[in-house]
Amino acid sequence: METLFFQYPATKTLCHRAHVGAVGSGDLEILMIPSEEAYTKVIVRTNVKGFGKTWAKVLERFFTIHDIAATVKINDFGATPGVVTMRLAQALEVSQGNEVLKE
Amino acid sequence: MRFLRNSFVELSARDRARAILDPGTFRELVGPFDEMESSHLVQQGIVPQSDDGVVVARGKIQEKQALVISIEGVFQGGGIGEVSGAKIAGALELALRDQERGVDIRPVIIFDTGGVRLQEANYGLLAIAEIGAAIVALRQYVPVIGIIPGKVGCFGGMSIAAGLCNTLIITKEGRIGLNGPEVIEQEAGIEEFDSSDRRLIWGTIGGAQRFSVGLVDKLVDDDTLAIREAVYHVFDEEMNIPRSSKVDMYHSFFQSIDLSKTIKPHEFCALWEDYVSGKSGDIPSLSYLPINKEDEGKSRGRTWFYALVGTSNINREVPSVLCADAMLGEEEVRYIAVVPNHGHRFYRARYGEVGVEEGWTIAKYVRDAVEADLYGKKRAIVAIVDVPSQAYGYHEELFGLHQACAAAVDAYATARLAGHPVIALIVGKAISGAFLAHGLQANCILALDDKEVNIQVMSKKSAARITRRTIEELEEATKKVPAMAYDVRSFATLGALYELIGGVNADSPVDKDIAKIRYKLQEAIQMARTSSRNLSNRLASEQAQKGRNVSILVRRKLEEQWN
Repeated sequence: METLFFQYPATKTLCHRAHVGAVGSGDLEILMIPSEEAYTKVIVRTNVKGFGKTWAKVLERFFTIHDIAATVKINDFGATPGVVTMRLAQALEVSQGNEVLKE
Repeated sequence: MRFLRNSFVELSARDRARAILDPGTFRELVGPFDEMESSHLVQQGIVPQSDDGVVVARGKIQEKQALVISIEGVFQGGGIGEVSGAKIAGALELALRDQERGVDIRPVIIFDTGGVRLQEANYGLLAIAEIGAAIVALRQYVPVIGIIPGKVGCFGGMSIAAGLCNTLIITKEGRIGLNGPEVIEQEAGIEEFDSSDRRLIWGTIGGAQRFSVGLVDKLVDDDTLAIREAVYHVFDEEMNIPRSSKVDMYHSFFQSIDLSKTIKPHEFCALWEDYVSGKSGDIPSLSYLPINKEDEGKSRGRTWFYALVGTSNINREVPSVLCADAMLGEEEVRYIAVVPNHGHRFYRARYGEVGVEEGWTIAKYVRDAVEADLYGKKRAIVAIVDVPSQAYGYHEELFGLHQACAAAVDAYATARLAGHPVIALIVGKAISGAFLAHGLQANCILALDDKEVNIQVMSKKSAARITRRTIEELEEATKKVPAMAYDVRSFATLGALYELIGGVNADSPVDKDIAKIRYKLQEAIQMARTSSRNLSNRLASEQAQKGRNVSILVRRKLEEQWN
């Protein structure tokens, strides 16, 4: 297991907390929790070591587009960058109160 | 006619729970944001999940209060660790508390689990014993429903828990068995069970097969509505007698089966159908053959049984399960031991393993005592534990070994609830499903402090294979997590032992050793008579405050969020 930390500046607060996904093969779990601070903190725990740069790129892209102040906890079990981005988008939708996408 | 189906199998554990509950009533307890994850996994470098793979939800079923527990099979194969196990056991214990106070609550458990999570080993084993105890106690008030939707299925110790439910609902995608195909192949060889043969697997332990031999109650389509309706039916109907309590029927059925050649799945169906329809007639019971003295394998279980009981009045009906009533001080005590019998007709159970015959026979001996003492003084029951494992074999799984083990669990738990002091005396190995069936339902567990006294969930070889580690890596991990170790002193740190007894010759006890154990047994029986009839003392012990602090914390959190 490898643990990675990332931080991005943010201005807008998140409406609700969100939980999506599962720590199963090729998938990941995301907890998105509203934060009072002026940045987003991301903690990634992944079972696939050595992909720190890929994580940095995927996350930076997402949090550049989406300006949200939150604590984001990711428990990853080998998700591909595409799956990561879709789960992040899903978590964001859920946090905005879109119940349909809620798992 | 319905064309569109909503698959239940494809849903996540959380959505499965939501689907069983009335719309809008789902309320999760100790959910993802409570972040009760497994520190034991993290210590071993395994990514945890925020809910540890178990969803506990309160809500309503047909407008009545309900508890739905749903296991996430996707995460670590639905394995039961300390947190996930405590969530299940703790929730069932709270439901029981409600029932005892006259608050009706409907319990449903959705099983999608490989059993004990090997990385947390004895934590899982203890939790599963507590889950079993709670199910048996709850059944006094309300039917407990188990659903096995499928994907992982229901295996290991949790198949025993499922075997205790009043009603089991399964789909064709569901499977239930004690030992998974890979484990049987590892332990018994590919000739015994080929874990790559899918037809063999489904024909032996698949939902349709289990239904046709009466090892589950309802076979339903993989459809959310159909499953919900099946649940409604159970609560609408009169409570049925769980399979694990129908001991006489199953005991005599299995004794009538001729094992001289391999029985195919469809042949087993035919045997069962003939038996229940009364067509099988007067088949001579095959196990009442004269005992060959040479077949009686030496074991610590046998040594201690004879040491405590003597040699008279022993019930040898089934050569591998010894049972006798003997005086201990002022009172008569029933002793039960599982021992090796090299001529066992179940060839996979010749070295003291708990197999189909052992499970049902233990259940019979325990229940006989409960029935005989119904209106009198409840005699103490002492389980002498020296069980190297459950039996790993094809016939065992085909015949439902999990159900035989559940019968033994049910009997011991029922005896304990009826007021019989149940004492386990571990003199040798206490492994896995065998220990769950024979020992872990006791009020008090005593163990000899000896190198050969081992408590675990799986042999090192199998555990290494299943968790994809080398034996060296496995041994390294046991240093970090005491619950993964095999020795009795590590087990003692978990607080479930009433006493660890040192200074006794475990292999060849002499008079003073026997006298000491007799004295300790008497003490334990006194203790059991005066304290609670549930297993709560295991978490109340001083060691448990440290060794199982998370099991206690999870229960406290559940209680805070319960109402």
